[in-house]
This record gives sequence, structure tokens and C-alpha cells, in this order.
Amino acid sequence: MTKHDFRIVGKSVKRQDVIEKVTGEGKYTGDYHLPGMLYGKIKRSDIAHARIKSIDVSRALAYPGVKAVLTHHDVPKVLHYGSPHPRSASCTKDQYILEDKVRFWGEGVAAVAAISEEIADEALELIEVEYEPLPAVFDVDSAQSPDAPQIHDVGPGGNLVIPPVQIERGDVEKGFAEADLILEGWFEGGRPTPTYMEPNICVADWDGSGKLTFWTSTQTSFMVRGALAEVLGLPLNKVRVLVDHMGGGFGAKQDLFQHEFLCALLAKQCRRPVRMEFTRKETFLAGRTRHPFKMWLKQGFRKDGTLTARDMKIVYESGAYGSHSPGVTNVGTASATSLYRCPNVRLDGRAVYTNTPIAGAFRGYGVVQTYYAIDIQIDEAAEKLGIDPAEMRLRNAVREGDIAPSGHPIIGHGLETCISHGIKAFDWAGKRNADRTDPRNPAIRKGWGIGCEMHGSSAYPGIKEQGNATVKMNEDGSVTLLTGAAGLGTGAHTALAQIVAEELGVPFESVSVVHGDTDVVPWDIGAFASHTTYLVGSAAKMAAAELRQRVLARAAEKLQEKPEHLQMVDGIITVEGKPGQSLTVHEAMGPSRGIPAEHLIASGSYMPTKSYSFAAHFVEVAVDTETGIIECRKVVPVHDVGKVIHPIAAQGQIEGGIQQGIGHTLTEDYVIDRTNGRSLNAGLVDYKMPLSMDMPDIETIILEAAPDPGGPWGAKGVGEDPIIAIGPAIANAVHDAIGVRFHHYPITPEDVLEGLRRKARQDAGAA
Amino acid sequence: MKKIHLEFSVNGEQRSVLVEGYRSLLDTLREEVGLTGTKKGCDVGDCGACTVMVNGQPVNACLMLAAEAQGAEVLTVEGMQPNPDELHPLQEAFMEHGASQCGFCTPGILIMAKHLLDQNPLPTDEEIRFGLSGNICRCTGYTKIFDAIRTAGKRMAAAKAASVEA
Repeated sequence: MTKHDFRIVGKSVKRQDVIEKVTGEGKYTGDYHLPGMLYGKIKRSDIAHARIKSIDVSRALAYPGVKAVLTHHDVPKVLHYGSPHPRSASCTKDQYILEDKVRFWGEGVAAVAAISEEIADEALELIEVEYEPLPAVFDVDSAQSPDAPQIHDVGPGGNLVIPPVQIERGDVEKGFAEADLILEGWFEGGRPTPTYMEPNICVADWDGSGKLTFWTSTQTSFMVRGALAEVLGLPLNKVRVLVDHMGGGFGAKQDLFQHEFLCALLAKQCRRPVRMEFTRKETFLAGRTRHPFKMWLKQGFRKDGTLTARDMKIVYESGAYGSHSPGVTNVGTASATSLYRCPNVRLDGRAVYTNTPIAGAFRGYGVVQTYYAIDIQIDEAAEKLGIDPAEMRLRNAVREGDIAPSGHPIIGHGLETCISHGIKAFDWAGKRNADRTDPRNPAIRKGWGIGCEMHGSSAYPGIKEQGNATVKMNEDGSVTLLTGAAGLGTGAHTALAQIVAEELGVPFESVSVVHGDTDVVPWDIGAFASHTTYLVGSAAKMAAAELRQRVLARAAEKLQEKPEHLQMVDGIITVEGKPGQSLTVHEAMGPSRGIPAEHLIASGSYMPTKSYSFAAHFVEVAVDTETGIIECRKVVPVHDVGKVIHPIAAQGQIEGGIQQGIGHTLTEDYVIDRTNGRSLNAGLVDYKMPLSMDMPDIETIILEAAPDPGGPWGAKGVGEDPIIAIGPAIANAVHDAIGVRFHHYPITPEDVLEGLRRKARQDAGAA
Repeated sequence: MKKIHLEFSVNGEQRSVLVEGYRSLLDTLREEVGLTGTKKGCDVGDCGACTVMVNGQPVNACLMLAAEAQGAEVLTVEGMQPNPDELHPLQEAFMEHGASQCGFCTPGILIMAKHLLDQNPLPTDEEIRFGLSGNICRCTGYTKIFDAIRTAGKRMAAAKAASVEA
């Protein structure tokens, strides 16, 4: 890393998008109302697996105010990727827009456009569908049984989404033979959903030349453009995708959704703009969830805590379509090679179709599941070996040069630093030796736990990503950054503007960001994988560096100096050793001495390798042994993010991730009736997320322990990391409090009470 | 369906609209009045994104029929600024503290926080948490929102004390 006297990077400058958000002026997709706009709605199946024998839309079409109805008879028969990453190593083409088959309860079977949402809703009731029910499977065990019904014709068969991901390093049997302690057990996780605040929404409008303009809340506008163009048979320049502000995504707004295709098709048929907005219930039914999982984990340890072998079999439940299952399975399985160093690993990862809602991309992408299990079992081993759990992790933490899940040697290992720093900041030793009772309430037991994680800043090598940025210097010295990266709420656009201002040598306020119009901005792979600041930031830095050279070359001509003798700081160009000589950027760019004004533009493209961020989370819980309620009271998250670009935005990412992680671990589970596939809690009252009253005190600590040369000034990703370590930290703290181990999430009050009863029986038996 | 003639004040401006009887105040504000700052996160009263003030009381605009607002004074996020060049102390504090990430819940939370501080400029942490218990934010972990409300409350209390002294 070059030594650098930072003027803008590392400071919490005012976010570029925020004034619009606090004044209500920021436009989200749903805020666009076009003249003559129609409203689209989707008819959803009330059966989990069936062939459509017939579908009668005549009464719906005749209903006053209805303008069009589409069924599988009316849409292009093009098999498409639900998860449209053409550069991905593996993705599944297993979806049609509409088909004569349904594979989960709530799948769309027809779409209506009408002059009002209410009329469209009423018309849905008039569509008559006759189903021929098919045998269905609602869990991965049934789906993998030899006589299970086949949900798809594509794929390797046996309801596998992709061939199993198998990784073997070293000699696992030898490793177990060398172990003094072997632990094995089953782990399981439910179905949390991202539950972003803005329901999925899009607006489609075709012009007279046959060009589609499409507003949508997406993290991947160029993927939307590509998939729409492919399925609708259009060249890319006939599809313009626009996204301004968006109300969150957390990974799940990467997919191409059924309603997006249908909205475009309805608008084309009606020759009027059409808007389609999910109800909150539909964001559950037709959105994307995390992959539920089942996992068997066996690890061997020496007396001193050293890991000798790890054997793991994990099955991710994909639901009705593949979506991100290939990526999640690859990333999640590979993650088990690492975090805690282990020379001998044998890993088997699978993704399996079931007749349940579609699991997709979600913050922590496959890793939430594997590290939950690994970190709980590490805790169990520490207990059995009589080693302090934090010390146990320090002894096994990945180090410099270890092979990362991506297959690359780790450059920069921040985990040990995070653990060591947190031990002091949390007063780990003092707390672990403290009284677990609460003087105010004898039913309460307190406990303290630790969890760790590492996560890549980019999807490489699974996806051959490329970050692009274009920077323009305007004639007055103001700067415009063009980026295709979506602003889903993380503050990435501000970070990119900071990087440009820093590299260029202009004030932060002089840089503005243009984004979200595929006709205008450079191609972008999408805002996901904790990579925007890392990947697009590097591209923006490259573009700014080139632009800086060109501005200095122009200034040198005006100043009659050599460019290498010039420097630009805060928008002022000075000459080395000549204090009197200077130009503002504005003066340098404007016309003078026969040199006309100039419009300068530079672009950067960056292909990443791989870097990893690290974190250790320290948690205090209070478990009420009478009600079973677990309260998360305090969290000290210690994160290594390389170079921090915007401290407050990074803290916000961490704190938000902790909120979601607490939800995953204690209350959140989108429940599917395992007898018929019906959704049981598709709403914000029944799907329990942590609210303001549920949040613990969070004391966020960000370290710059291990900068990575791949990111701007060493910056790495932060978005996904905080959701990973919090889960096992809570589960381990609960064990510390009440002596009961849980191998699943969410850990409900019923589970706690049952666990306490089981423990009491065991204790009585032992006595 | 026959439309209802509705007159009410929105952010101090008298408005007159024709709406169907079943229209919610939320849809009416967004689609008839043209103020899209108030957001629709669930449309069934669970998330608080659509919180507006009606006659000084916070309500979920999705749960209130527009017809019920006949003659009322409605305040939305667009009405929070004391003047075009000045932000409300809460708006300033939300920007400073990073209390707004995706921003979709922000308008509702700002209105709820304004109500909280109007009643009690120096709320305890418990009172802030309780005051926001009907507003879902999925991005921030609430911590920054709590910080912003505390900061704004202190500034508002100080400004009030200064104006009393003057």
C-alpha cells in the first residue's frame, strides 16, 4: 500500500444520496406514475406441484377495465436463468416465464393488466385454472429419496440442481487417526428472508420504435437488460433499464423475477405503460429466501485444540428453481476449507430442488450456514478440551498464505487481530468469569459467546467479474462519475465519489455520481458480493488517476511547466518549488491563451482476484429460563475491512447485518407447511424480525488490520460479513448461559424450554 | 364507483381531491396529491413506512381511509422542513449519523421521531426504542437512528431554551 495522506477517504463525508432520502424527494420505482399507466397483477397457484390441465381467462378478459391477460399460451417459450450471471461458472437454466406446470405454492400462472390495481385483483378471481396434482416433496430428505418425484427435466437428475460440489485436501482418515477428540453432529437452519422494506416493483413502457424502457428495483440492472433482451428477442440497445433509489435488496434483488418479464409483455400487448408491484405477501411468496440447510459435520482435534480433520456434508434446499443455488453451493462448500485452518478436509455440498419457495442470493451467501455449524462445533471442542473458546479460535485462525476458499493463498489475515482486539474490548476474560445470574430476576441466566467469519470481497473466481467506471471532468472543474453499480442503500456511491475525489485531488463536493441508466453508464455486473467499493472503487480509482494525468497535462501547457512538476490538491494545481504559481482546476479546464475549453473523460476497468475480510463477534445474552426467551444484550463486532472508506457507512452495514443475524438466529423463519407447501407466515406480523426494542447495544470496532492490494488503498468488502459471525456467537453465548447446545436456527423459546427440560433429565440421570 | 370530494390540508396547503371511497390516505397522498415521499412497505399497517401525522397524531396512512381525513391537517415528510433552505433538526441528524441507508423507512421514521420529540425533546433510550417500535428498518440495526434522534432532541431542546431566554 502506498503511504498516503488521506484528505477524503476514511472520513464520514455527507452521503450523496441522503438529502433526497430525508426530504422525501428521492424517487424509488414506485414513485413513477406515467400517463395512461395500467396495473399488473399475477394469479398465483394454490397448489405446490401440478400440471395445468386448462386455464380459462375469458371471464377475466371480459371484465370492465381489464386490458390484457397472459397465460403460458401467450409468452415466449425461452428457458432462462433465474439468476442471470452469464459469467458465472455454473448457473441453471430452468425457468420459463410461464409454463403449463407449477412447482411451488404461490407460483404465478397468469397475469392481468387493468386500469386499476383493484380491478386487476378482481380479474384474478375470474381466471379458472384446472390442475392435475403431482406428487410433491417439501424437504431435502424426501426430495433425495430414490422414488421422489422429479421436479425438473433439466439438471443432473435426482432433484439435484447441479452435480455435487466435492472438495478434498490432505488425508482426512489420517487426520482423524491423529485426533485426540472427534466431534460429529447434525446441523440445520430455517428459511430467513431478506425482507427489504421496498417490495419488488417494476414499470414497463415501450416507445414507437419498439424500445422498452424498464424501471425496476434491482441490484443488477445490466443483468435485467440482458435477460429481458434475450427472452424478448431484442438487441441490448432496445432495452433501457433504469433504477434510481432502491429500498434494499440484501442480495435477493439480483434475480430476474417472473413479474418483470410479465410486466414488459403486458405493456407491449396493451401499448401502454404497466406497473407491477408486489404486495408484502408476494415478496414472501415470490421473492427469494436464504437456503434452508441440513449438514453433517465431523471434526478431529488434538489436545491442544489443533484441528486435524474436517468432514462435512451439506445439503442446501433450493426450492422450486435453481436461482443462486449453484453459487451458494460452491461458495458455501468451499468456505468450509477455511476460517479455522485444517490440513485435511473432505467436503460434499449439494443443492436440491423441492416444491417450496425459491431460495436465492442473500447476504452471507451459503457461508452463514457452514460457519454457523463449524463455529458451534469449535466451541464444543474448546469446552471438551478445557480451552478458552477465544483462545481456541486464536490457535486455529487462518493465517497468511493459507489457502483460501477461492483456492488462492490468503493475503492479509485479519482474523487473529480481530479476536485479540475483541478479547480486550469486550473484557472477555472478566465476563466469562462473572456470575451468570441476574440479581434482578432469578429466572435469567447470562452468557457470553464468540463467533468468527471470513468472507470474500467479490464473487471471483465463481464469476469473472469486472468493475467499470467513467469519470468526466467538466469545463468548470466539477467532476461526474458514471457507474452502473446500483445504490441499494449501502452508501457505495458516496464511497466511489470519495475514491474519485481523493485520487483526482479535488474536493469531495465537486464530484457527483450518475448511475442507474443502462443507456448511459458503463456496464456493471451488479451490486452484490460485498464488491462494489472493492471492485468498482478500484476501477474508479484507475479512471481518476488517468484523468488526473490529463488534467495536469493541460495545466502544464497553461503554466508552461512539466506535468511531473505539478500537483493537484483540493482542486488547486501548484508547481513544485514555485509557491506563487497555481491554477484552480476550473482555470486549468477553461479556455485561455488560445487553448479552447476541454471536456476530459477517462474510464477504468478492473478485474479482481480475491480478498477476504474478517470479523470476530462477541456477544452477551440473557436467557429467561421460565419463558425461554433469549435476549441479545450486547454485541461487540470487531471487523477487519482493509482500508475503511466511509466509517459511518461501514458501521451502518455492520450494525444492520447484526440486526438481520440476530433475527436469523432467534426469531426469523419463513415457514412452509411440509404437508402441502403452503406458506404459513407471509407477512410482517407473523414473520418475526428484530425491531427497535429488540436491538442490543452495539459497540462497533473497525480495524484496518490487513489491507488488500486489490482494493482501493487496500479497502475490502464489509456488506455481508456482519451477518455471518453473529449467529454462532449467540448460539455459543446461549450455551454459556444455560449449558444447552443448539445445532439449529432459529433457536425459539420452545426450543430453549425443551432444551432445559432435556438437560434437567440428563443431569438427574447422571446424578 | 362514485368519487368523494375531499378537502384537507397537506403540509399547510389546502388540497381538494376526488377519490374513490375505498382509497387509503396513503394512496391518495401518493397518487392524487402527488407527494410520493411517504412509502408503501406493506399496505396493512405492519411496517410503519407510511407514517404521517394527522391532526398532530401519527397514523399509518395505509390503514386510514382518505375520507376520514376530511378537513384534517396532514403532515408528511415533505412538510418537515421549516423552509426550503433549512432542514428539520431530525433531517440534519439523520444525515450526519448515517441513520438513513436505503431510505425507504426514513420518511415514516422521521415523522414518528418528530412526534416523539415534539412530546418530549429529551427522551430516554427506552422511550426512543418504544417510540419506534412500530417502524421497521431493515438496514441500519437502528443504532444510528437512535443516535440521530438523541442528537436532534438535544439540539431542539437547546434551541427552545435559547428562544425562551431571548
